[in-house]
Amino acid sequence: MDKRYEERSIAQDSRLLLKKADRDGVETVWDRFEHQQPQCGYCEMGLSCRICVMGPCRIDPFGEGPQRGVCGADADIIVARNLGRMIAAGAAAHSDHGRDLVEVLAAVAEGKADGYGIRDADKLMSMATEYGVATDGRDALAVAGDLAAAMQADYGTRKSELTLVRRAPEKRREVWKKLGITPRGIDRETSEMMHRTHMGVDNGWQSLLLHALRNALSDGWGGSMIATEVSDILYGTPKPTPTSANMGVLEEDQVNIVVHGHNPVVSEMVMLACQSEDLIALAREKGAAGINLAGLCCTGNELLMRHGIPMAGNHLTTELVLATGAVEMMIVDYQCIMPSLGQTASCYHTRMISTSDKARFPGMEHREFHPDNARELARTIVREAVENYDLRGEVYLPVTPVAALGGFSVEAIVGALGGTPEPLLDAIKAGKIRGAAGVVGCNNPRIKHDYGHVTLTRRLIENDILVVDTGCAAVATAKAGFKVADAIKYAGPGLKEICGALKIPPVLHMGSCVDNVRILVLASALADALGTDISDLPMAGAAPEWYSEKAAAIGCYFVASGVYTVLGPMPPITGSMNVVKLLTEGLNDAVGAAFAVEPDPEKAAVLIRRHVEEKRKRLGLDAKEV
Amino acid sequence: MSYVIIGNGVAGVHAAEAIRRIDPDGEITLIGDELFPPYCRPMISLVLEGAVTPDALPIRNDRFYDDLGIAPILGSRVEDIDVDNRTVKIANGETVPFDKLLIASGADPRPIKAEGLDLKNIFYMRTEGHVRSMLTALPKVQKALVLGGGLVGFKAAYGLMRRGIATTMLIRSGHPLSMQVDAAAGELVRENLMGRGLDVRVGASVTAFEGRGRVERAVLADGTTLSCDMAVIGKGVLPALSFVPRDKIGVDLGVLVDAHQETGAKGIYAAGDAAESTDIARRSRWVNAIWPEAVDQGRIAGMNMAGRAVAYPGSLSRNVIRIFDMDVMSGGVVTPETDSVYDVIHFHDPKRKRYRKLVFREDRLAGFVLVNAVEQGGVMLSLIRSETPVVVPRERLAAPSFNWSTLLPRAG
Amino acid sequence: MKTVVVHPERCVGCMQCMAACATAHSRSKSLFSAIHERPLPRPRVHVGAGLCNEGFPNRCRHCDPAPCRMACLPGAISRDPDTGTVLIDPDRCINCASCAMACPFGVIRYHADPLGPPEKVVAVKCDNCIDRQAEGRIPACVEICKSGALAFEEISVAMKRKTDQVARTVSSDVGAAPSSPGFELLKAVKKVEAELRASGR
Ligand SMILES: Cc1cc2nc3c(=O)[nH]c(=O)nc-3n(C[C@H](O)[C@H](O)[C@H](O)COP(=O)(O)OP(=O)(O)OC[C@H]3O[C@@H](n4cnc5c(N)ncnc54)[C@H](O)[C@@H]3O)c2cc1C
Ligand code: SF4
Ligand code: SF4
Ligand code: SF4
Ligand code: SF4
Repeated sequence: MDKRYEERSIAQDSRLLLKKADRDGVETVWDRFEHQQPQCGYCEMGLSCRICVMGPCRIDPFGEGPQRGVCGADADIIVARNLGRMIAAGAAAHSDHGRDLVEVLAAVAEGKADGYGIRDADKLMSMATEYGVATDGRDALAVAGDLAAAMQADYGTRKSELTLVRRAPEKRREVWKKLGITPRGIDRETSEMMHRTHMGVDNGWQSLLLHALRNALSDGWGGSMIATEVSDILYGTPKPTPTSANMGVLEEDQVNIVVHGHNPVVSEMVMLACQSEDLIALAREKGAAGINLAGLCCTGNELLMRHGIPMAGNHLTTELVLATGAVEMMIVDYQCIMPSLGQTASCYHTRMISTSDKARFPGMEHREFHPDNARELARTIVREAVENYDLRGEVYLPVTPVAALGGFSVEAIVGALGGTPEPLLDAIKAGKIRGAAGVVGCNNPRIKHDYGHVTLTRRLIENDILVVDTGCAAVATAKAGFKVADAIKYAGPGLKEICGALKIPPVLHMGSCVDNVRILVLASALADALGTDISDLPMAGAAPEWYSEKAAAIGCYFVASGVYTVLGPMPPITGSMNVVKLLTEGLNDAVGAAFAVEPDPEKAAVLIRRHVEEKRKRLGLDAKEV
Repeated sequence: MSYVIIGNGVAGVHAAEAIRRIDPDGEITLIGDELFPPYCRPMISLVLEGAVTPDALPIRNDRFYDDLGIAPILGSRVEDIDVDNRTVKIANGETVPFDKLLIASGADPRPIKAEGLDLKNIFYMRTEGHVRSMLTALPKVQKALVLGGGLVGFKAAYGLMRRGIATTMLIRSGHPLSMQVDAAAGELVRENLMGRGLDVRVGASVTAFEGRGRVERAVLADGTTLSCDMAVIGKGVLPALSFVPRDKIGVDLGVLVDAHQETGAKGIYAAGDAAESTDIARRSRWVNAIWPEAVDQGRIAGMNMAGRAVAYPGSLSRNVIRIFDMDVMSGGVVTPETDSVYDVIHFHDPKRKRYRKLVFREDRLAGFVLVNAVEQGGVMLSLIRSETPVVVPRERLAAPSFNWSTLLPRAG
Repeated sequence: MKTVVVHPERCVGCMQCMAACATAHSRSKSLFSAIHERPLPRPRVHVGAGLCNEGFPNRCRHCDPAPCRMACLPGAISRDPDTGTVLIDPDRCINCASCAMACPFGVIRYHADPLGPPEKVVAVKCDNCIDRQAEGRIPACVEICKSGALAFEEISVAMKRKTDQVARTVSSDVGAAPSSPGFELLKAVKKVEAELRASGR
């Protein structure tokens, strides 16, 4: 019954592997989603509260049953508290990821991180300058040590404002100051959110939501931004690099190692090990043609951006990749790693390795990585992966990979434009490019897999809107073939002309999900060049298939930074129409941007086009009726 | 008004009760061959199996005839019906007059053609009496043969296995339950039974039984022999109609009846395994020899006989059987001819041992087979019976999550 | 006489009724210990998902006449004259599943039950919490359902509510129906999601 698979995904590799998984008796995320139906409406509406032990409580949305929790909180308060905690968790995840990178930077400075080093010294120096760390005539490692310390201070609560907030346009910072939501410390805002949502603290749903914005800003202009910049310093700032995507990137005749998760700290060392001559020789001894490293999710994106490492799939396909039977080893770090994977792998020969001291999984071997043991440990486990090639059984790789171009950091985009953002601004002013949209976020079985990302992106580029994307969205459009220069054939005439001249795809891969901050930096550069605020730009954000708390934080920092953002799935807020109205309308008055929710990507595309044209009109540029 | 009912099976009993509810004064005569009180025929296999004792069989208590004011004539067979003079003749030559007559004589096991059928320890399994004699024979039995892979054959084999007897099942067709399920489900059933130690041989039939007084072996069509000290014949049933004058009362396989269970001869009705009515799913005449149809038809015939015109919507094939840990349910049209008006969808989940087959005619469900997870079968049967158009995607009916609310109009 | 009346449009799919029903049919009657009982008590109300994944509490309708009762081979199904409840006698049940074919709503399950004969698989379905009712308590599922999807009320009251609902659609004189714009919004979103998944796009 192939219709079942067609209902689940638009990607050919996923459909075929879903069928195989069924045959192999492997349960997938879609099966579990089906088993969970119907899902609890209280929770879907944000109306259940588990914050204290006088509870748990829930509010009857129809008004007859209980209208207040035991503590007295009404629907507005409960919904706002729940949303606040969701954003705190998302901000914490990104920011803690950033902290891990800062710790590697510190270890490098102390010479305690064998294998790691400073790959982009220019960025180190410019960051140091931003942080007020002296650079003149100083040794890179010394600067690195001071920069790491300065960044660590951003995590604490000593400051009145995060350092990198200064990157935002002047007008934006004014907005934040006026509302009192300038982020002060990365950990502080999350910690304060947990405090405010404790029973009996902040019971103003509006003030809770404002703090949620501040908390999200501490991620976007703090934790995530540090994560991206320090990754660039340690592993190099991405440059356009050819790569390929879908499950076909696994090689039938090679040892396949897949890295999955978010943080590049482990995978960079794994990559080095995979390239080492002696291990490749060992693979040949085993009868394999070599060692093939492939990525999944954002760990994959980090390697793709910097080294062109191919991408096997995105969030919903992580189980299916194992069902190919072609993976000798999957190495995971953290975030978005389904706890089912160990179980899935047990049906095949794949060895599963968890590496982070803060992330354990059932059915995985735990091999803890730290900066001081990473290089050696990576070699050890890659060797084990090669040895596992002996146990390989039947392999099913029914697709050929799709070519893609990755590596569009802000520096790379500006580079492609000839060193300044002017040409892009000119194209926008001339109306050839109507505007830009950041299409980001995860997969979610509520939405047909990849359908939201691919459809929205197709409609936007067709209408001359440049798309920049990250995370699982970026993987979806790579698989769909939108990330090659030739993909301008899908673009409208203006976008086609500009991208054709610059020899870039109409859809630019900007990295992992922490790399969404690259979009903020780009937007700030454009706003500064025009002397306006981000909220005045003909640009929008979208998360057509989002699922995670991290995505909720991203959405909030986009909106708080002035970017109109269209969500696919509905966040758990409909229990309070006050909260819904504030987030979808009221925020316009406060931060000049708001959310919209539209699960149908065709309609989401219309919303974004309309918004872009509206902004063009306000800037005095030609505007179309949408 | 005098009513005569031939057969004290479930159809006859329900008819008698329905008549009495409407007509408190009419004379009701119930002529039955069996002496045992009205009982649950399907449960006799549970007696064989040892799951229940015979005292669990009766469906009505001893006072049933008295309470309803019925005159029973038990242990006698009806030999003839005189349609014109409105009497029935019973074995001792006595005649019983009637104003309204119900033929509820049920069915007899379909006989087979083979030599040596008069040997001892060869049984049919239709009545409580049959099972009683089987039980008497059992202590000396080690190896049994069951002929036929239908429902009754199955229940016999299952009962014997539960008694610890090595059992071989011989099936003429390619898979068990060929009247109830399709080949795929039949194969699942066969695998399951083989796994449990039943020896199933397909495409096999018996030409002769041999033995000295008692059966000792069976000779198969291919010339091979199988030793056994007991044989049960379960090759289906035929309506028990030897006494029905075919020139006066229309008979096809069963007695032909209209929507009120009445035959072509006015005032003469038929119900249960003896009657042939319209099958809702097949949209043609059919004998659906199953318990719930006998209940319904008996009740409806009784009401019509007592003067309340009640139409019977037609019958519907359906069956459920539980064999060890496997449940198999089917209903309506299960094996339509290829390139007919029917569309078929399948769903097979080997890991959870689930199989679903749905048969559609245009936008209506016409039949299904379920292996395991049979709880929603009643919803499907009611879809077939009510001939409700299926407007939701068909795959939803085959999905494991299917439930009654899947059929409700969309929210919002 | 009061009965359980289902208002499916109010069901939020939280499944709390299932847990409450299972607990009410456990030996200990306490959720915390019920989960340690063997056999595990199981719910007699089943919250299924509709086409757009909306919840629906499916329980026995105690039909009259009851198709399951007519189909039951050993006559294990009867009607309690006081409450009109259709009851299955677990001692007489032979687990034949004939009732599964008869019930048009698919509400009967088959398993060993803590309140039935030990280790015997039997047909189990909603008993209207007849034991609780005898103690003057309302059915467990109704008690826990806070959204009003399950109510214990006089049929006449429920009928009046339904009539009012119809009246409301034709006239604005009858007071506003209790509704939840937020829940409607959520349902609308889920409907789009479901349609997109099912669509050929
Ligand atoms: C072993 C077994 C298992 C079964 N399992 C199932 C099941 O699981 N589900 C299901 O739905 N069905 C099952 N059936 C079929 C079911 O038993 C019958 O469909 C049902 O009993 C038919 O009822 P009836 O009243 O029409 O006929 P019967 O029950 O056959 O009753 C007819 C009665 O009439 C008597 N009679 C016949 N001829 C004469 C005559 N000339 N004069 C006087 N009396 C006469 C017979 O002796 C008999 O007592 C099973 C049958 C058997 C044998
Ligand atoms: S408790 Fe009420 S709202 Fe919750 S699932 Fe049951 S019927 Fe629906
Ligand atoms: S079990 Fe089904 S058929 Fe029987 S009374 Fe309940 S709803 Fe009706
Ligand atoms: S399973 Fe039990 S209750 Fe259901 S019909 Fe069979 S004997 Fe009756
Ligand atoms: S009335 Fe009682 S038995 Fe029936 S569903 Fe509700 S809780 Fe369960």
